[in-house]
Amino acid sequence: MSSRTVEYTVGRNPEMGVDGSVARSPLLPFDIPEPSLDTENMLINIGPQHPATHGVLRLVCELDGETVKRVIPHIGYLHSSFEKLGEYRTWNQIVTLTDRIDYLAPLIYNCAYVMTVEKLMEIEVTERCKVVRVICMEMDRIFSHLLWLGTTAIDVGAVTPFLYAFQERERIYKLHEAFTGARITTSATRVGGMMADLPEGWTDGLQNFIDTFLNTLDEIDCLLTRNQIHIGRSQGVGAISAEDAINSGFTGPNLRASGVDYDVRKDQPYYDYETYDFEIPVGQHGDCYDRYLCRMEEMRQSISLLRQALDRLPDGPIDVEDPNISLPSKTDCMSDMESMIHHFKLITEGIPAPEGDCYMAIEGSKGELGMYIVAEEGGTKPVRWRIRPPSFVNLSVLPKLAEEHLLSDLIMINASLDIVLGEIDR
Amino acid sequence: MTLDEIKSGFDAIDEGPHLSESSTISLAGEISDPASHPSVAALLGRFGDAILHHRVSSGTQHVVWIDPSCNLEILRWLRDDPDQRYDMISDLTAVDYGAGRPINVVYQLFSTVYKRALRLRCELPLDGLEIDSIVELWSAANWLEREVYDLFGVTFRKHPDLRRILMPHDYEEGYPLRKDFPLRGRFSRAEQTRRALNQAVEHSYIAEEMELGRDPQQATPVNGTQEGDAEREVR
Amino acid sequence: MGLRDVLPGGGTSSVTGGMFGDGSPAFLTSKIDWIINWSRRNSLWPMPFGTACCAIEMMASAASNYDLARFGMERMSFSPRQADVLICAGRVPYKLAPVLRRIWDQMPQPKWCVSMGACASSGGVFDVYSMVQGIDTIIPVDVYVPGCPPRPEGLIYGLMMIQEKIREESLARHFEHRAEDPNTVARPHANDAQVRGLSGPFGNSTQQEELSTKELGADIASSEDLIP
Repeated sequence: MSSRTVEYTVGRNPEMGVDGSVARSPLLPFDIPEPSLDTENMLINIGPQHPATHGVLRLVCELDGETVKRVIPHIGYLHSSFEKLGEYRTWNQIVTLTDRIDYLAPLIYNCAYVMTVEKLMEIEVTERCKVVRVICMEMDRIFSHLLWLGTTAIDVGAVTPFLYAFQERERIYKLHEAFTGARITTSATRVGGMMADLPEGWTDGLQNFIDTFLNTLDEIDCLLTRNQIHIGRSQGVGAISAEDAINSGFTGPNLRASGVDYDVRKDQPYYDYETYDFEIPVGQHGDCYDRYLCRMEEMRQSISLLRQALDRLPDGPIDVEDPNISLPSKTDCMSDMESMIHHFKLITEGIPAPEGDCYMAIEGSKGELGMYIVAEEGGTKPVRWRIRPPSFVNLSVLPKLAEEHLLSDLIMINASLDIVLGEIDR
Repeated sequence: MTLDEIKSGFDAIDEGPHLSESSTISLAGEISDPASHPSVAALLGRFGDAILHHRVSSGTQHVVWIDPSCNLEILRWLRDDPDQRYDMISDLTAVDYGAGRPINVVYQLFSTVYKRALRLRCELPLDGLEIDSIVELWSAANWLEREVYDLFGVTFRKHPDLRRILMPHDYEEGYPLRKDFPLRGRFSRAEQTRRALNQAVEHSYIAEEMELGRDPQQATPVNGTQEGDAEREVR
Repeated sequence: MGLRDVLPGGGTSSVTGGMFGDGSPAFLTSKIDWIINWSRRNSLWPMPFGTACCAIEMMASAASNYDLARFGMERMSFSPRQADVLICAGRVPYKLAPVLRRIWDQMPQPKWCVSMGACASSGGVFDVYSMVQGIDTIIPVDVYVPGCPPRPEGLIYGLMMIQEKIREESLARHFEHRAEDPNTVARPHANDAQVRGLSGPFGNSTQQEELSTKELGADIASSEDLIP
């Protein structure tokens, strides 16, 4: 009877097994000849309904065993044609649409859209409005990163950070609700200003959040950053070089993790970001772990930015004092005929725009969020409203990132890209 | 209010933008000195006739209209020339002005080296909606061009994988973001529901359709249909 | 005044018919009904079909502040084969409609459906070419939760309504409860002319066959011609 030994290495981690030396399993049958397997690649369909795809994304994978040979993402399962809807809405009516595109960071989209319209119309908002918008954007950056953190952790099996992150998100929900009346669909901005000024005591609530948020972030940090399981699943996984990243259109923390220090707040600054003191975390390896670290550090930088913004929050009007752009106050409308007429015209017709087009990019939570608006002379609705969604371009790189990785790595890579399907499909 | 008044009020909500009759609407913006943007001056110096038009829009944004047949050459030079180095394509989209006017394909470029942005536009007539694909220059353009094809019907020559991306692969109502496409689509809701439920859910993940072993970067038929559609389940 | 008073049946567990004939107090079957319904409603496993913003509120409902676990619903079953209640949270485009239908079909009976949010209930803000105008055109819905997005308290109220609905079920009416024929279940009660009249001028209903486009040069004679 011929004997055949089966050799395999026990683990790669020296803490497990016998210092990495070759071990023989006593249980494996050694007298049965191993059949020669003629395998073919297997097709697996992930989604569009799946807990780990972060939305209605469909990934069709060609697998050789557990190794991904090819993955093709299919999108369009949430296509709501915002861009076409925008052509039927006046400038201020579109703000309510923008919340629903990226529902994880609605204030960022609200701000990005009105900033583009204001640039097109060459409107300069008040100082108070600028600082309030910076506060809103940084708060929502934390908001979005917290959800990313919770869902990524839950994808690799850690349930606790999800609950911690959502508890912190509840505090931001309360801030959203106190300011705008809604938890998610905030619609807080208007062309030339905001829907309303900050309510009394709101800044105290924000200060409370700033003072205590870092404790929770440290706890989550403690759970994940030096966790061997998390490191094992994310280090070396889905790496991309800096040149490939730029050429493929990566932006945001994904790009910065590959070593490129491109941040729209530093390179094409808006709203006095060049006067704030903050750093851009830049990674080295471009893998999932570096993306994780970049986003964690970005949350800390956002807290620092929020502190600075709160310190410099000036008094003054929040809306531009031009009755052709901002709605006059209700008391004025009831007493003054011209204000009433301005109010009527603004509501029924809208603000007339100059002819031209405008592309404005800001640093959204997912990457470079651009809005491109084309207007005709005197137009109260856009001719073309284009959203340049960072997640759309980030997701297109997924096939390149996931090749020759395991299926479970594919899930991790997908999670580390921080995509939101509302923005991808629009 | 009479029924007629109610109807006319609601019409205003439903109607899209009323576009002006001016034929130069797409070439909008102010004239400005091309030297204020170094790339524009360089483009005019090097590609003279291929640069059709230049404007400044929204105060500071430079827009250059170029000849669509030279887009690949001009964009390649913009990417590779050491003084230009537009290594990132921020956005690639199209604008339809309606009323038979040409569709503009818009390229928004950014240079991380010089921190400069530039916008280029190519005008395509409605009976000649074809332009060269720039996927070989920036791979970000792959999905961006697929989206323009899907929503506007612009064909990108030599695109490795030109098929619909947001709409279902066999969507027959047309190209949604065109101005002549109604907001609610061309079919009745009942018809749209029927077609939706008759879609093949397993489309494009059956082995015969994936054509295992085929390089996904090979050119596929431009009409966007997959070979060997699976049987449709009729409900 | 509570849910029990407004639901049909008035909250009593009377069973008409049953093993002992019409109208007799079927004590044994009502006790069995009570046990079955109690165990079903307190251990519903939701199938979260979350697509957009409402899915985030659903996740917030499941998180620690609004805790769905106290209703027995923390075990979100992502496999439809093991789920009881499908919570469709978010807008559903036509591309996703067959997937939703397939997931619903894969769920074994008894099953219920909650349409969470304005988009799932009626199309919401999105009366556009790509959006399903209410998932009740695709699958039968038991409870509609309005809101954009509904607060977690709203979703919880909707889930409690499902629980009340289950409380009123009975084995004697088993086939009625579990009916799924799309020609009889979840059809509008109004006739076609009434549906046409109600749905103009904001857009045609999915029960209509009229085209969405206005015919050029057509006379505006009735409300359905207004459909742009």
